[in-house]
Amino acid sequence: MRIPVQINENSAEPLYRQVEDQLRALILSGQIEEGRLLPSIREFAAELKCSVITIRRVYQDLENEGLLRTRQGTGTFVTKVEEEQRVRLGEQQIRQLLDEVITRGTNFGWNRQQLHELFEQLLSERQLP
Amino acid sequence: MSIQDTGMTASMMQSELESAITLEQVCKKRREHRIGPINWSIPRGYVTALVGENGTGKSTLIHMLLRTLYPDSGRITWMGEACEGELPVHLRQQIAYVAELPMLEENRSTARQAAAFRSQWYPNWNQQRFEELLHQLKVPEDVRLSKLSKGQQQKFVFAAALATSPKLLLLDEPSSGLDPFAWKDMLSALHSEMERGDVTVLITTHRMEEVKRLADYVALMYEGQICGMKEKDELYQQWKEVWLGPVADRQLLDDLKELPGILDWDAKPDGSVRVHTSQPAELQQIAEENDIPVQVNGLEWEELLSCWVNDYRIHHLGEAKV
Repeated sequence: MRIPVQINENSAEPLYRQVEDQLRALILSGQIEEGRLLPSIREFAAELKCSVITIRRVYQDLENEGLLRTRQGTGTFVTKVEEEQRVRLGEQQIRQLLDEVITRGTNFGWNRQQLHELFEQLLSERQLP
Repeated sequence: MSIQDTGMTASMMQSELESAITLEQVCKKRREHRIGPINWSIPRGYVTALVGENGTGKSTLIHMLLRTLYPDSGRITWMGEACEGELPVHLRQQIAYVAELPMLEENRSTARQAAAFRSQWYPNWNQQRFEELLHQLKVPEDVRLSKLSKGQQQKFVFAAALATSPKLLLLDEPSSGLDPFAWKDMLSALHSEMERGDVTVLITTHRMEEVKRLADYVALMYEGQICGMKEKDELYQQWKEVWLGPVADRQLLDDLKELPGILDWDAKPDGSVRVHTSQPAELQQIAEENDIPVQVNGLEWEELLSCWVNDYRIHHLGEAKV
């Protein structure tokens, strides 16, 4: 199955970070479930048109975070994500995204209240509990 | 020389890059040009794309790696082994070569006969793989090679090269003359070849899509020199295009022009400027602080390579900025 990672070629963010952030989010959100075998480094690199060096770095970083495990001869798997870890990393991600939103907003001259109102409005539109 | 000067990136220095072929001070004088001195290592287990203008010496370099041409001076080692005279058989058996215009000695044979002949020379010949590739690439097995089209001959050579299960695959513009369907098959065959592990590929190409899809490292050749080698994904982010302005304040523009990292500065009649730079963030920040409209764009591969050449000319050959 395809791993839905997309590279933005205009972004100043290094490719490995783009891939790493997206793959981490997919694992933490449970979209790629525990035990899933990931594509080989070469295969994934070919799919994303990036180099094996980038993918190796991503797999290694996520292995160090405990999200992936490589078994010699079989491949790289998604490990079990502890609930506490999921919550912590999830928060970290969302915080980062919101932080970026605030930066963008202030660049456009938005103030606290405008941002707040828009956020509330979007929440209501989704009818979140 | 600093790390940056040699075109080596930090990550390359750190990792335990083994080399498949190493060149030290290699020089070769040809009729029209001089090549070298070249100091270069081809990283083992990776795909390296060698790019550069026509006539810059890429094919000559490959022939030296094949030992079909001898350097005038300098030293080449293959998997750690140097050699005097011809390449020893055990090394030759590990090297496969595909040229842009195949010259076939086996022209009077069919693909099947030619394969039978070649297989005697290669202990790791994989007949099943050969037949699969021929089938996939739709090359008839029982027609004389001389009766095949150039593209089909090319496909035969490619299939026969992979069938030897090479440790080192030298591809000199392998896709010229291939139709888009065969080209796609060639790419996927190369990808699965790399899955085999411990295969090193050196490919020269003018097709940037090939670099994008295949390469792990990119080496640039310019006027007989290897200007450097970079990790493909780092090269991809190395230079950006920045659009500034229009700006009325000439003085401010002149100041911006002096920022580090700027390769060229293309002022338009309306007061806007198009810049290629390796440090877009700094330029962007200062522009924003001064309320100058600014936009940063990624570059196409062709433009990236031009930037690399310009960077080399400015920083190594001491030429003036454009």
